[in-house]
Amino acid sequence: MLSLNPYWGVNFFGFLWTFISRIPLLISGNCQMVQDELQIFVLSLMAISCSLIGVVMMLKKTTMLANSLSHTILVGIVIAYLLSFSSQGGFHPFSLSIKTFIIAALISALITTFLSEFLTKSLKLQEDASIGLVFTFLFSLGIVAVTVFSRNAHIGTEVVMGNVDALVSKDLLWLLFIAAVNISLFILCYKEYLLTTFDPVFAKFMKISTTFFSYLLMLQLSITVIGSFRIVGVIMVLSYIIGPALLARLFFHQFTKLLLFAPLFGIVISIIGVALTRHFLSMYQMPLSTAGMCIAVLAVSYFLALIIKKRKKSWQLPSLDQQDQSEKAL
Amino acid sequence: MNCILEAQDLCIHYNKTPILWDVSFKVPKHHMTAIVGPNGAGKSTLLKASLQIIKPFSGSISFGRCNSDNHIAYVPQKESIDWDFPVSALDVVLMGRYGRLKYFQRVKAADKEAAMQALQQVGMASYSSRQINQLSGGQQQRLFIARALVQKPDVLLLDEPFSGIDMATEKLLIELFIKLKNEGKSIFIVHHDLTTLDQYFDWVILINTRLIGCGPVKEVMTQENIQKAYGNNLSLFEEAHHLSKKQAEGYIS
Amino acid sequence: MNVLEFFTDPILRAPTIGCLLMGVSSSVMGVISMLRKRSLIGEALSHATYPGVVLGVSFFGVFFPSYQDWSFLGVFLGATLSSYLAIKVIHILETKYNVNSDASLCFVLSTFFGIGLLFASHIQFSLTFWYQKIQVYLYGQSATMTDIHVIVYAFLTSLTLLFLIGCYNHLKVILFNLEYAKTIGIKTNLIEGISFFLFVVSIVIGLRSVGIVLMSGMLIAPAVFARQFTERLSTLFLLAILMSLTSAFLGNYFSYTLSEKYLITMPTGPLIVIIGTLLAFFALLFAPKRGFIFRKVRIWNFKRKCIRENILKSIWKSPSQLTDFSYLRKNIGLSTWFLKRHLKKLEKEGWLRKEKNSFALTCDGIKKSERIVRLHRLWEVYLAEHLDVGVEKVHKNAEEMEHIITPELEKKLTKLLDNPTKDPHLQPIPKE
Repeated sequence: MLSLNPYWGVNFFGFLWTFISRIPLLISGNCQMVQDELQIFVLSLMAISCSLIGVVMMLKKTTMLANSLSHTILVGIVIAYLLSFSSQGGFHPFSLSIKTFIIAALISALITTFLSEFLTKSLKLQEDASIGLVFTFLFSLGIVAVTVFSRNAHIGTEVVMGNVDALVSKDLLWLLFIAAVNISLFILCYKEYLLTTFDPVFAKFMKISTTFFSYLLMLQLSITVIGSFRIVGVIMVLSYIIGPALLARLFFHQFTKLLLFAPLFGIVISIIGVALTRHFLSMYQMPLSTAGMCIAVLAVSYFLALIIKKRKKSWQLPSLDQQDQSEKAL
Repeated sequence: MNCILEAQDLCIHYNKTPILWDVSFKVPKHHMTAIVGPNGAGKSTLLKASLQIIKPFSGSISFGRCNSDNHIAYVPQKESIDWDFPVSALDVVLMGRYGRLKYFQRVKAADKEAAMQALQQVGMASYSSRQINQLSGGQQQRLFIARALVQKPDVLLLDEPFSGIDMATEKLLIELFIKLKNEGKSIFIVHHDLTTLDQYFDWVILINTRLIGCGPVKEVMTQENIQKAYGNNLSLFEEAHHLSKKQAEGYIS
Repeated sequence: MNVLEFFTDPILRAPTIGCLLMGVSSSVMGVISMLRKRSLIGEALSHATYPGVVLGVSFFGVFFPSYQDWSFLGVFLGATLSSYLAIKVIHILETKYNVNSDASLCFVLSTFFGIGLLFASHIQFSLTFWYQKIQVYLYGQSATMTDIHVIVYAFLTSLTLLFLIGCYNHLKVILFNLEYAKTIGIKTNLIEGISFFLFVVSIVIGLRSVGIVLMSGMLIAPAVFARQFTERLSTLFLLAILMSLTSAFLGNYFSYTLSEKYLITMPTGPLIVIIGTLLAFFALLFAPKRGFIFRKVRIWNFKRKCIRENILKSIWKSPSQLTDFSYLRKNIGLSTWFLKRHLKKLEKEGWLRKEKNSFALTCDGIKKSERIVRLHRLWEVYLAEHLDVGVEKVHKNAEEMEHIITPELEKKLTKLLDNPTKDPHLQPIPKE
């Protein structure tokens, strides 16, 4: 089996070369997809979904709420499981039917938002404290419930870390569907998302409901997290939400461009991540976590981008100053 | 029907505390009206209520025949905006056209053309592709006015448009407003500077939770009225309503 | 297994005391971060300890494989260093690169943890034994703590307490108004630097008991709990510490009971956090002054008071000596059953007396009704004279305000209006 994998034993550049040359073959259906390529496609689709949502959440300054939601999905899954009475030989949060999946997503999004808002508005608690309380409480409940139901003491670890190497092609279809939903929602509701994020008062004046779109965004986030966490764990989903968006923000200053380039950056990072993991396996016989590698690539890219930006600023500064001064006189 | 804005027994509460209480007035068309009063008097609230952004506790306020939003344009206070947002000046003006577009419609060339025209009107045509965080205070204000103008309104509502702007831009804006008024529009401005009232405006609404006066500037801005609005005889009222607010939240019984 | 044995039994005492020490330090630093409105920084920093934990353990695994019991020192140092690095990165992102605080916390949280994942995946197969040691830090496992842990934790916690007691007054000013503190010569940078360091330390102490993922819960919950009961800073710290000690002890206790009696191995972290957050929710709902339930009860009581005062007023105003039930029923918009209940209560309290199916006020009842009518009419005068409210409109507002005006406000009104004798409807105003 191993010898059939064309990526076995290749280094980083070899990987990229092999991948590029296999793309036309894959498209025409002339060869089978192997594990590495499956990982690339799955991670790229995840990157698309997460970074689109991440751009809006970053501009709305609600990414820590995304952190909260990514933890509370566990409770949503437990409740959905209890409600749907589906017993597939014991409970495991990684094997969900579609119905359970959707119910779990809805419940998680609703509980998190409602509880956080109740704490802030009725109980008069400051916003950051209410987010923190809600998710630690719900996640603890989730961990206790899941440990008791599945008799597996290591569930918590798997939720946080996921398992990329256990990918199957069904996951690809799942994530393709989720990505399609996210992309279409963002294309259709582009104006509404832009307006409700930038100027909520004007949006209200234009009769566009800020509440509806923030709930919609939470629902999109919920679906994306539940669909992705079994592959890479909740923390990586979070880094794909904030990372590419922050990276794109450094270079691009148009909302449209952010929505275009953040997913692109996410895809590139995923490819590099998978390639590097294969490189380390081939060259140094070190099996590493693909998820961790992608995050490391993200971190390094951001760090480099910051340095490049600082350098660029120091070159450009004099000319921009002059132009601005003459125009600001108006 | 010569009046453009009419309020009847308007009461607006926030948490059981009245911000506007028993306000009734009529404002005729084609005037430049100032809304003045001390801080916390309810000026912005009055504006937002007239736009149906805030629901009154009782009573009503409406723009008569021009009640569809396409004919009323609103320029909010500058502070409520995140100026770091990644949009260009043209993008912001285009937002004014979103009211005409249904849910899934895209922005068309005609919209872009209208946006450029509006920018031209405020003298910012060359800034259309600039990021909003690169604009000065005066330019930002003009940008938001352009966004209002692109809606081709009959009525223009502005919330403290002159705050934090230099004198030159203020003069420019006032000339623009007068021009618009002469073209037949009605303009309402929440204003804080009493010294420029009779220069800029011909009608005024003076409020301090209650309506003190509504009419031509010279008639309303008498010594007596100004004392009523800005003087201190409301302190017991405020104290009593502070108690009422605490009771409504359950802190005293 | 009684409570005292948790402190004396050689196996149980280290976990118990270790958790209690975590409670002390995390609650103190949690109060400070909540007052600064940066409650979520604990979340970012606790996740940021992960790479340090992995590196620390690997260091021991590679260089000192025979000193297993001391590996926690590696964890400690590693966690402290990586967390401290994280706090520096957050600071730089926010100040030098203008990244929003929400985004910088989220970014640091996920990238540091992810890098930790990368390191962990490497040693998962090469140093499997040591890898197991790392996993307990995700959700906490106090059961395997030793006395050496406790000694180190005790030392660090005492540092925290020393800082709190020593810099208390300076801290108070800084927490209230940072700029003002700078202007009066307080060394804000030094104190902030020390508090950042101790913040990291409190997280590192808590890693073993609560774990990385849930640590922020024990920073936030004690502070929230304490805040509902007091406004004084010193009491705030004390209550937070007490609450934290309780949840730490109980969480540890339940973890032990679950594994001994029900044979379920549960990490300690979730249990401690559940108890802690439940206590916080309890405080939010039931605290005497700020609690949600009590506020709702007070609102309801006030409504009842208004109805009763209106009933008394109605009897006072009625033309005849005795007021019959149907008259009251017409004037007060209540159903028969409720009205009868209120009347019974008023009779019991001595405000009125019942004669057959009619009611009359007692002396006390007359005094009380007169006072309410007085407040009503005084307010009407005030509205009409000072606020130019039309005479036909003053009544409605006065109906509400008559139940709210306090004796102090009444005195001010009387003085301002020059002790009027008639209201705008020309009705007499009862004397004081």
